[in-house]
Amino acid sequence: MEDYDYLFKIVLIGNAGVGKTCLVRRFTQGLFPPGQGATIGVDFMIKTVEIKGVKVKLQIWDTAGQERFRSITQSYYRSANALILTYDITCEDSFRCLPEWLREIEQYANNQVVTILVGNKIDLAEKREVHRQRAEEFAEAQSMLYLETSAKESDNVEKLFLDLACVLIREAKQNTLDNNDSAPMPGEGKNINYLSCCNIN
Amino acid sequence: MADVENGDQTFDTVSLQTEGSRFGDDGESSLGSDSELNGFPGSRETDKYGFIGGAQKYTAESAQDVPPEVLRQRELKWLEMLKDWDKWISKRFKKVRLRCQKGIPPSMRGRAWLYLSGGKVKKERNSATFKELDSREGDPKWVDVIERDLHRQFPFHEMFVSRGGHGQQDLFRVLKAYTLYRPDEGYCQAQAPIAAVLLMHMPAEDAFWGLVQICEKYLPGYYSAGLEAVQLDGEILHSLLKRVCSVAYRHLDKHKIEPVLYMMEWFMCAFSRTLPWASVLRVWDMFLCDGVKIIFRVGLVLLKSMLGSRDKLKACPGQYETMEVLRAIEPRYMQEAYLVHQ
Repeated sequence: MEDYDYLFKIVLIGNAGVGKTCLVRRFTQGLFPPGQGATIGVDFMIKTVEIKGVKVKLQIWDTAGQERFRSITQSYYRSANALILTYDITCEDSFRCLPEWLREIEQYANNQVVTILVGNKIDLAEKREVHRQRAEEFAEAQSMLYLETSAKESDNVEKLFLDLACVLIREAKQNTLDNNDSAPMPGEGKNINYLSCCNIN
Repeated sequence: MADVENGDQTFDTVSLQTEGSRFGDDGESSLGSDSELNGFPGSRETDKYGFIGGAQKYTAESAQDVPPEVLRQRELKWLEMLKDWDKWISKRFKKVRLRCQKGIPPSMRGRAWLYLSGGKVKKERNSATFKELDSREGDPKWVDVIERDLHRQFPFHEMFVSRGGHGQQDLFRVLKAYTLYRPDEGYCQAQAPIAAVLLMHMPAEDAFWGLVQICEKYLPGYYSAGLEAVQLDGEILHSLLKRVCSVAYRHLDKHKIEPVLYMMEWFMCAFSRTLPWASVLRVWDMFLCDGVKIIFRVGLVLLKSMLGSRDKLKACPGQYETMEVLRAIEPRYMQEAYLVHQ
């Protein structure tokens, strides 16, 4: 009855005010709401995309960034196929909190989860506090994919979700192949050359 | 669509103060003349609550109009009550409650809320407190988060529309003062809309005491680290739903929609981000009189209205569809007349 080939759950995490909700709304609704209120708790949206004829349903969970909501948001990490760890390139502090978020992931997410680091708000280039190279190096050291986006200008937002979908499809296929020794070694990293995977708009 | 943000557009501030803007008792404009606007498309005309646009703006369907002569009568009654408040509260509370249910006249609302909440008494007993807190520097840890939230509270309300305008400045003062008043609690993001609603009706010091009362007396523990109190109320709401509307209860259970998924914003913001403005005000009139049970009742009415029959459930067969329904509540269930009547 349900019309899709794959269903993936993606959870956005990261400090308050880095633009998680705006990324989700840009991707799912094509909107950039001015003055988007802080997310209280958790929310989710769905978007089905087609990648090379394969229908992929993305269930995107948006979480409150403030620390005191963590007890609620944590329980949604576990079943996530992918995490979008977001920071704000104009806010050093949101970058410095990343190790703390990685500990959260380590503790609460499943060890096969694909994590992508996203530096948002590149439209505010003149206010940049975190250099791209620094973030790339950090992401690489942690075996994370890295992408910079602007939810406001819609830069790389489609790409973010579609690339992620590609990686997840590949992983899913891989898992079906090695069905018998199911779990890949934890900490193996996900150095998949995913960027060339999708050529769709 | 991409250009709709904190742009460089500066509107001339006079045009924002159209007739019909009537918030608070003094009608003071909050627009700093040099301030940058939050950025919003379309009409700049304010509705009678001070909204320029957005989903919560006045619509004829969402609100009931009270005939002027009835309003005049009510204003007189409220003036009478406020003059002799202690007596009314202790001896004729039922009458006060009835009048809150009928809706507090807009011109009286700010004072009435301050009296009802007990904020007035607190303020009088601690007359130097706010001034003292207001003059102190806040903890950078809280100041930083608060500052990031200032431009995103009711961006379509004329009071909060301009970056760095008086509304946003007062919001900062109130929230910062609270973190100094209760350093153990600090700031929770859900407090900002609460403080903003109060500021639409009263000056900063009064709004501060109103916030104190809501955080400590009406919704104790809701905003504390761990958020246990609100999660517990989520469970209570869920079990009340079982009694009130078992169809909806079973549906939510079946699709694993936990209370925190739909009720956090409802409860922590006392519906201020959910309902059309006329309904928000009526709910708050009753909430500040009767407390959290009003929030429970509104929550139950909404759940029952949206998920209360097999027919309605056909439209939302899955977890996502149900969440959609709960997120985008049908306007007819949020009309002030419907909610109050229920």
